[in-house]
Amino acid sequence: MVPSKKEALSENGRAGLLPALKDRAGREGCLNRESMSGLAGQYHLPLNEVYGVSTFYAFLPVLPTGKNIIRVCRCLPCHLKDAQAVIGSIKKELGIAPGETSGDGKFSFELVSCIGACDQAPAMMINDKLYGDLTPAGIAEILKSYA
Amino acid sequence: MGNVNVNIDGRKIRVREGSTILEAATANGITIPTLCHIKGQVPSGVCRVCVVEVEGSRTMMGACHTPVAEGMVIHSKSPKVIAVRKVIVELLLTAHTGDCVNDSNAENCALHNLASDYEVGAPHFNVRNPRFYPAEESNPYVKRDMSKCILCRKCVKVCGEVVRKDVLSIGYRGFRSKVVSGFDEALTAEACRDCLKCIEHCPTGALSAPARV
Ligand code: SF4
Ligand code: FES
Repeated sequence: MVPSKKEALSENGRAGLLPALKDRAGREGCLNRESMSGLAGQYHLPLNEVYGVSTFYAFLPVLPTGKNIIRVCRCLPCHLKDAQAVIGSIKKELGIAPGETSGDGKFSFELVSCIGACDQAPAMMINDKLYGDLTPAGIAEILKSYA
Repeated sequence: MGNVNVNIDGRKIRVREGSTILEAATANGITIPTLCHIKGQVPSGVCRVCVVEVEGSRTMMGACHTPVAEGMVIHSKSPKVIAVRKVIVELLLTAHTGDCVNDSNAENCALHNLASDYEVGAPHFNVRNPRFYPAEESNPYVKRDMSKCILCRKCVKVCGEVVRKDVLSIGYRGFRSKVVSGFDEALTAEACRDCLKCIEHCPTGALSAPARV
């Protein structure tokens, strides 16, 4: 039987997709239809499969994002350490809610699943940098360093 | 491969080693409900309605994907199994938010039929953001109403593994999971032809033939 596209690639191609998506997103800021179609062609996968993988991972931005991406952990340990207050503080500083991008295109704000920094809860990442033990009062200063 | 002896609902059964509990039961006229399983395909085990009790096992087992073992004692209709299955059906119903009242096909919905067989009433779990998607009617062969989809993944499977077209995948994650085509867009007539296999396998009214005008 002819292997389906997915099977043909299960050995090598599929495994390469995720690093390729990450690389693309890193270089271009976000994954759009064009980059996903390109990778689909390159890895002989249907576009829907590439889209499915991309949208599964919170760290692969699919929609256009701001220059800096703020990702606040919304899992239980951070929640118990009052991540909600930190989220409120970011909202107030930037005037945007989670899922939105600021009008000047500087920041996108997202809530994500555990970022592995439970020991420093509440925690967030801005781009690749981790910020732990956050306080609502300290947010303004951190954001200022990206302005 | 040899045969093994198992006991299902008090009946001694001899089956080929490597069969699943579901296969053993079905071959002997014992019905176990399934929603996500396609006979002959690798089981995915996602819907959980096929759970059974296996003596000595800490948890319940999915009959569609658990192979039999020598001496297994299985209960497919014990009070515990029925109670758990009811909750599973109720959970599935909770996320199945289509307009079933106006659906002329509702009697073909395997989930509704299971709910009525197991006397599951209206689900009482609270949902913060109900899953809702507008119905897609642009494709001439398949109408997709994703609010009714229970994410059994059968359509993804038949399209990929049986028909080998691969036009469907699961996108997003968790509660937002959705069966997507292309860049999460309506099925186009170029991508999807009229094999209608997904409609045939969909246990709910999520996929149906468009009304002929
Ligand atoms: S559309 Fe139907 S077959 Fe496809 S995953 Fe949803 S319920 Fe299952
Ligand atoms: S039929 Fe076994 S898990 Fe769905």
